[in-house]
Amino acid sequence: MAIMRRTNEVYDPFRELRTLQNEINSLFDFDRFPGTTGLFDRSVSPALDVIENDDSFTVRVELPGLSEKDIDVSFASNVLTIRGEKKEEKERKSGKVYRRETWNGNFQRTVTFPLAVDGEGVKAELKNGILTVTLPKHEEAKAKHISVNVK
Amino acid sequence: MDKDKKIMRKTMPAPCDIYEDEGKIILRLDMPGVTREHLSVNIENDELRISGKREPTDVNAGRFLIREIPDRDFYQAYTLDTTIDRDKIEAELAKGRLIVTLSIKESEKPRKIEVHPKD
Repeated sequence: MAIMRRTNEVYDPFRELRTLQNEINSLFDFDRFPGTTGLFDRSVSPALDVIENDDSFTVRVELPGLSEKDIDVSFASNVLTIRGEKKEEKERKSGKVYRRETWNGNFQRTVTFPLAVDGEGVKAELKNGILTVTLPKHEEAKAKHISVNVK
Repeated sequence: MDKDKKIMRKTMPAPCDIYEDEGKIILRLDMPGVTREHLSVNIENDELRISGKREPTDVNAGRFLIREIPDRDFYQAYTLDTTIDRDKIEAELAKGRLIVTLSIKESEKPRKIEVHPKD
């Protein structure tokens, strides 16, 4: 990690304003449909969380209505790729559609990790429409706690 | 009631598809992270209320590098008209997706009236 300049976080006069701006923006955030990431990218990007721990990363993706065989999780050169297809259920035989809000089609998300991940230990689990991928950090990348001796 | 509201977390409506299929109205809602124990579907005063609680995001789980999943529960109410049979409502939850089947009353279904010639 590069040596970083200490920032003065004690008093930031614009922090309150930024929080207010975020609050107001979220009021107008009606978009519950996951959009596409790039201009020419035709795949949908479902909502995702990346959480970093002392010894692992956890990735959670919202994938409602999907089964294991529809999801492809791969990990190569510290990049996690989750892709697949959310198929439209074509059980409907007759009648009209009143409302269409859920998404379907191809989806893809890629996450590059800032620290080395042990590719062998990556585990993925799908439960209640949420995919959880656990990626243990490489031994060298794990946070080490150094105790300070008081003399 | 007000007391309960304070404890309640922020809610959002779940994305929902509503369509008709063979005399039935089907609601398909994407509710990822909702388990059967935390789901409630009930009817009150012509309102179909669907609420699903999710596990609150554990802020202490670590440092969030990306946080897009909203830390909210699902809640939405739909008004039912008189054509829906209140006693024939089924709900099914699998893989974070809820399917509610509403039946149309037999008396409301279109039926053919025979015309008898009278000569």
